Amino acid sequence: MKILFFTGKGGVGKSTIAAASAWQISGRARVLIQSLDPAHNLGDIFGVNLGNGKQKVSETLVLQEVDLQKLARDYLERETRVLGETYRYLQVLNLDNYFSILKYSPGIEEYALLTSIERTINEETDFDYIIFDTPPTGLTLRFLALPSVTITWIDRLILIREKILEKRYTIQKIRRPLKEGEVPREELLKYDSGEDAILRRLRCLRDNYNRLNGLLQGPECTVVLVFNPDMLSLRESQRLVEGLRELRLPLRLLVDNKVTDKNLGMAARVEKILESTAPGIPVERVPLSEGLYEGTEATLYRITKDMGSRF
Amino acid sequence: MALTSVEMEEMENIFALLVLGSFVGLPAPPTFLAVELLPFMERELKVLSRRAEDAGDMLAEMCGTLGID
Repeated sequence: MKILFFTGKGGVGKSTIAAASAWQISGRARVLIQSLDPAHNLGDIFGVNLGNGKQKVSETLVLQEVDLQKLARDYLERETRVLGETYRYLQVLNLDNYFSILKYSPGIEEYALLTSIERTINEETDFDYIIFDTPPTGLTLRFLALPSVTITWIDRLILIREKILEKRYTIQKIRRPLKEGEVPREELLKYDSGEDAILRRLRCLRDNYNRLNGLLQGPECTVVLVFNPDMLSLRESQRLVEGLRELRLPLRLLVDNKVTDKNLGMAARVEKILESTAPGIPVERVPLSEGLYEGTEATLYRITKDMGSRF
Repeated sequence: MALTSVEMEEMENIFALLVLGSFVGLPAPPTFLAVELLPFMERELKVLSRRAEDAGDMLAEMCGTLGID
């Protein structure tokens, strides 16, 4: 299964290019295209009305739009429930109120996004290609960076946790064994690394993130960068290229979208600069479509360029 | 052994501080990591708050460590 991410500045035509590629690939393989952008327009492109569910466009092409806010809410609700069960005595306090604040904390949205991507990759094994239409640059870079950042944190926390368990072990071994029926004077702490809930959770999380990171950096994953022949889009694309390189994510294609006869010169210049920023990455040029097409037979803005064969 | 106990508690305290540091203005791990671990951290939270309360009374702390009642 191949995973494709379409990234770029807002408004450069990520969704359009992603949709066109999906359409082209669906001629030879089964494709799921999923929009993670809060400003969804996949449904508009294919001329169908998507709820939060999936919709079949053809036998081999399935569309899905993901509601980020709902994802974040669901995630927090799940956690609140676990929390409520564990800290029963805290229920008298205003826990709900506390968690409604947590909703605004930085990171929750990215995490919900990442969880959603992970779930999609794990569950949708019926497809040969999964195409993600990503939100604008900032959020995209942050959620793609999450696995690495998190792994660093988890590693450190695991080290500390193991030290704590070592100390507990020492303490338990110094104490004499309990007599039958004797009630210990103080709380007996678990010292076995398999029994400690926190360490177990941390290790489980680390495995998860390592797997996800491996998948994102691996040969099955492709990041496509879409840009326009203008200065703003060039600058943001350069930052994105650098960000992707830092995260060691596989950028494999640049798409210069909305090229017309008038901006041909600019297009060539922008492409040249980007090629020097990202050496060795091929560039595809897609002309601007002037007409207004409607309905399912829009043949996707008449993009004739076969990008699908690149993947 | 008392010393080891104190050391352990102190480490639990640090662990809790690291995970939940954002509550007291420390740079914190990704929020969701704290949320993931929070359900299991009952003891650490207790230690954390007790340590915060006792922090002002070093003498009592030492007496406790040395086992003086």
